[in-house]
Amino acid sequence: MNFLRRPAFLVGLVLVGVVAIAAIAAGWIAPFDPVKNNYRYRLGAPNDLYLLGTDRYGRDVLSRILFGAGVSLRIGLAVAVLSGLAGASIGLISGWWRPADAWLMRVMDGMMAFPGLLLAIALAATLGPSEATAIVALTVAYTPRTARVMRAAVLVARALDYVEAARAVGANTARILAKHILPACAAPLAVQQTFVFAVAILAEAVLSFVGVGPPPPQPTLGSIIADGRDTLVEAPWIALAPGTVIAMLVLGLNLLGDTLRDALDPRMRGMLR
Amino acid sequence: MLRLVAVRLLAAVPVLLVVSLVSFGLTLLVPGDMAAELAGPSATAADVARLRESLGLDQPLLGRMLAWYAGLAQGDLGRSVLLNQGVGAAILERLPVTLSLAFLGLGVACAIGIPAGLIAAKNVRRWPDQATMGASLIGLSLPDFWLGLLLIWVLGVKLQWLPTGGFIPLSEDPLGWLRSVAMPAGTLALTQLGPIARMTRSAALEVASSDFIRTARAKGLSEIRVFARHVLAGALVPILTVAGIGFGLSLGGALVIEQVFSLPGVGRLVIGSVLRRDWPVIQGGLLVIAFVFVLVNLLVDLLYLWADPRLRAQS
Repeated sequence: MNFLRRPAFLVGLVLVGVVAIAAIAAGWIAPFDPVKNNYRYRLGAPNDLYLLGTDRYGRDVLSRILFGAGVSLRIGLAVAVLSGLAGASIGLISGWWRPADAWLMRVMDGMMAFPGLLLAIALAATLGPSEATAIVALTVAYTPRTARVMRAAVLVARALDYVEAARAVGANTARILAKHILPACAAPLAVQQTFVFAVAILAEAVLSFVGVGPPPPQPTLGSIIADGRDTLVEAPWIALAPGTVIAMLVLGLNLLGDTLRDALDPRMRGMLR
Repeated sequence: MLRLVAVRLLAAVPVLLVVSLVSFGLTLLVPGDMAAELAGPSATAADVARLRESLGLDQPLLGRMLAWYAGLAQGDLGRSVLLNQGVGAAILERLPVTLSLAFLGLGVACAIGIPAGLIAAKNVRRWPDQATMGASLIGLSLPDFWLGLLLIWVLGVKLQWLPTGGFIPLSEDPLGWLRSVAMPAGTLALTQLGPIARMTRSAALEVASSDFIRTARAKGLSEIRVFARHVLAGALVPILTVAGIGFGLSLGGALVIEQVFSLPGVGRLVIGSVLRRDWPVIQGGLLVIAFVFVLVNLLVDLLYLWADPRLRAQS
């Protein structure tokens, strides 16, 4: 486990950790109510009281970012877990049970022909914008990629000698899958889902930016940027600050994913993404 | 050869079938009465009924599906509820903007990213590699729409070098066109650079460790010659793959970037329709974008056959 001491891993951990702790503690550390207006201080420049300035309703940008980061993390994590479960199931069936393979993979290919973001935007809008529909839409959009990775891992695992041996001694399918195939696929799956976590945070920001994310008054990083876009000339801090937080989270997760991949299997280097 | 091409073409059929089914099925997920929602709160019951009929929503599901495919077969994607225009025409009008943006961004990203990836592979684990990989990791972690706003702020608002948005057609004013697409294409290129450099690097490393490279070295070719003649030739197929994947990313990115820079492309049309709940346009947009994606991948597949004699020999 010496990858734990690699600088890239530590930097990633710090980036994600700082944002995550700040987001979880938002209720206590946020200096203001993120949805409370202050019409006497609209589009206010950053100062001692409002560290990152205020938006056009006089709401504190820092407090909004703290709460928005929580939404990004929640949605990103939920998408990583749910698309991991769905993708792993589809990939497992596809890689193990050959009759289903061609059918399932054609469906996945078809889904992957849509740019993931466009599909997610269309789905989120169709189902009606909310945090839950953002999770569903992004899960649907990113499951096919995970399924492909899982299928490839299952195909490698099922050809391993000890799997052959397990079959030869008469182990039943359920036992082989649970004891041998799934553990062998855990590493690539974990790496892939770390990247999905990162991509889902970027994608959620886009959903919110174009207006199909969690609806107001819920602050999200993407919707703060959308607000700031209209006042980019007078109050650039509104749009610029939340993007930095997104970049911190995504860069941190990508660093974690990269080091995890190199540590778990050097041969996988460059296989994903 | 012809058989191989035919096999590739046939493989696209099920993909297109899924694409068309998903595009059609999207409206089935709309909660509540779609016609009532489209007509708006001030519409009378008769208005809603008329809209429902014109959208074919009064038909049973199977009938609607058959009508959808009958329309597709004739190249008819339905009518936009709000634009009062055929969906196909509305999309075709805007497709050149999206495609030129995607190709321009991808072109710039490939022109810089592929050499950068090769340089990184050539100097693996030395500073040029670490610098390139570090920069590309940061690049792919930045939200593209935010990067666009950052560029607008710096180049458009502060320095006032480039227009902050809007689009000038190439046929009207080539220089104006270039100025209007420079920032959006640049944004796209910046976010695509990272993945392209990374994929190129790993492809080149893969090739560099293969037997024919060892043979080339063993027979005494100079390092430069080995790299230029053998590594590059071997990396051509993976680089094509990179460009193919890059196009998909670029197309998806272009749809959002259009929104940031107010470019009249398919992305702005579809996202605008999403907000106004103009379903036929959303369906048509999904379908056309996916169709373009499949078409480009088909082209990449056929280019494989040209680039890799081993694939041709299989037939």
